[in-house]
Amino acid sequence: MVLADVLVSGVLMGLVYALLALGLTIIFGVMDTVNFAHGEFLMIGMYAAWLTATYVFPDPLAGLPVAAAVGALLGVAAYALLVRRLLRGPMVAQLFGTFGLMLFLRYGALAVFGPNVRSVTHGVLLGKRVLLGGIVLDATRLAAAAGSAVLFGLVYVLLQRTRVGVALRATAVSREAAQYMGIDTERMNALGWAIGGATAGMAGALLTNFYYVSPTAGTLFAMITFTAVALGGFGSVPGAFVAGILVGVVQMLAAQYVAAELKLAFVYLVYFLAVMIRPQGLLGVR
Amino acid sequence: MGAKGATGPIKTLRLAWSLSDRPRAEQIGFGLFLAAMLAFPWVVKAGFARAVAVQFMLYALYGTSWNAIGGFGGQVDLGAAKSVGFGAYAVALLTSTLDAPFWAVLPVAVAAAMLESFVVGAALLRLRGHYFAIGTLAVALVWQELFVFWEWTGGARGINLPIKPAPDWAYLQLDPVGYHYVALGLLLAGLLVVNGIRRSRLGYQLRALRANEEAAASVGVDVFAAKLKAYVTSAALYAAGGAFYAAYFGYIDPFSVMPMDLSVMIAMTAMLGGAGAMWGPLIGAAVLVPLDRYLGAWLGGHGVQGIDFLVYSVVIMALAAYQPKGVWGIIASIGKVRRARGASRCAVAGEAVRRGHGQRLPGSVH
Repeated sequence: MVLADVLVSGVLMGLVYALLALGLTIIFGVMDTVNFAHGEFLMIGMYAAWLTATYVFPDPLAGLPVAAAVGALLGVAAYALLVRRLLRGPMVAQLFGTFGLMLFLRYGALAVFGPNVRSVTHGVLLGKRVLLGGIVLDATRLAAAAGSAVLFGLVYVLLQRTRVGVALRATAVSREAAQYMGIDTERMNALGWAIGGATAGMAGALLTNFYYVSPTAGTLFAMITFTAVALGGFGSVPGAFVAGILVGVVQMLAAQYVAAELKLAFVYLVYFLAVMIRPQGLLGVR
Repeated sequence: MGAKGATGPIKTLRLAWSLSDRPRAEQIGFGLFLAAMLAFPWVVKAGFARAVAVQFMLYALYGTSWNAIGGFGGQVDLGAAKSVGFGAYAVALLTSTLDAPFWAVLPVAVAAAMLESFVVGAALLRLRGHYFAIGTLAVALVWQELFVFWEWTGGARGINLPIKPAPDWAYLQLDPVGYHYVALGLLLAGLLVVNGIRRSRLGYQLRALRANEEAAASVGVDVFAAKLKAYVTSAALYAAGGAFYAAYFGYIDPFSVMPMDLSVMIAMTAMLGGAGAMWGPLIGAAVLVPLDRYLGAWLGGHGVQGIDFLVYSVVIMALAAYQPKGVWGIIASIGKVRRARGASRCAVAGEAVRRGHGQRLPGSVH
């Protein structure tokens, strides 16, 4: 594999990370809460897509709307039943609350689906290759990257251009000021979790085309996503995009030129070095 | 650590032994706890309950250590497992390759963890809040990946410690009663160190910077040095716990001594009991460890897979949602209501001066 191949595959994977980081960073921006269960939202999205592909329509991409709906519902339920109470407590209570949620979803999936690793056997894109400027790419990976990019763009437009997006950003800047302006911050919190859950769920559906589905599938992605969010700067949407892609590229470079087993160590190392220079993250503000 | 000067070590010891600001009630409580733990192996003969008790004391030690940096200093450390791993690996490697006895390796294990946390802490402690938390998590995961990757650490296979004819005190291969008392000794040592910090100049500095870092720095607290001291101390105690773990189980691998779940569990042990209070980690460990182990034993083997973790996670969520200040928070708030009657803030401040803390407040020139 030449350098160009590595870089392209890094960017492709990085776009999926960016979409995952987007949901996490919105939740953080609005509520100052790190959602430890974000990887598990992704995992539930994977199961939603896998179930759809197995029983409804033989392609995991058909599961996109299902995964989005399941993820959004899960996010809202998590907010209404758990996070709303956690917000009254200290930061660490939020940490443990969402850590508990992570365990709950992971072992809930284990109880329902069992420990077996699943994968899709039918799909429109499965096994197809795309030639792009001399580089051969898996159609499934390209679709995941393109889908992630489009969804990221849609959410970004929602945040920047719509009334509800402005209200959400206003809540992120100052809850009190937003309340005085007549914004229902409770609803904005719920919306933040809905977006976080939906984007994670859809990222899961996009990944199901070429990634194994298991109750622990979310763990790895969760760690990468945390790193991306912190690297980009907590709460920064452009930061999530840049850091997501950076993380994808670093991971692929490390896997290709150092050792596949150490690809995550290099991601964490880059985070570590970056925050030494900019303690607020790449595009974060203090 | 602790107060410096001519009377330094003696004063530190005295501070450590005077267990709290409300001596009588808590000292009686601590005496009862100590008596219960001393008597435990003579009353309870069941192997499983004894194993749970040892693990309770180990997690209480971890949680107590976490308190130094997380509870007093307010820096949420999510990488405790790396220091546990350093301690465990130092013992496992040196015992299995050089046949070195446990007690000779223990100082090496502690020193290694302290050195690592000094270097890493010097960089990490510049970060604040979530950046620090994620940073510690990331560093711990780097170590885990490296220990899986490297050959000389046994990789993912892990390390078996050589088996000696028990009981062998030099290699810490003991009967259950022996392990119980070594664990208790370690826990008491940890409580002594951390309680000493709590009552020392460093403890006041840490609590000052937890409340407001800028304000603490502006009155002359060397915020960075205080954090680093607490961070390195907690690493030393984690490593002692990890060293014990390696000898106790006789087998370690990166997934048992260095996982993220262990780091979070350690922080949770301190927090759910009540951060910053001496009793917090003891109560947290007394709730979480038996809950985890007994749920695993009762529900783990049969029925729905993962049901024990499901119940466990529900309990964690409920505790986080309904008692964010921890179990000790409930007890302390009851105590506070009672003490508020009659006792004014002036009286408390006067007592602090009388006990010799008046001139040792953070920022005072020494």
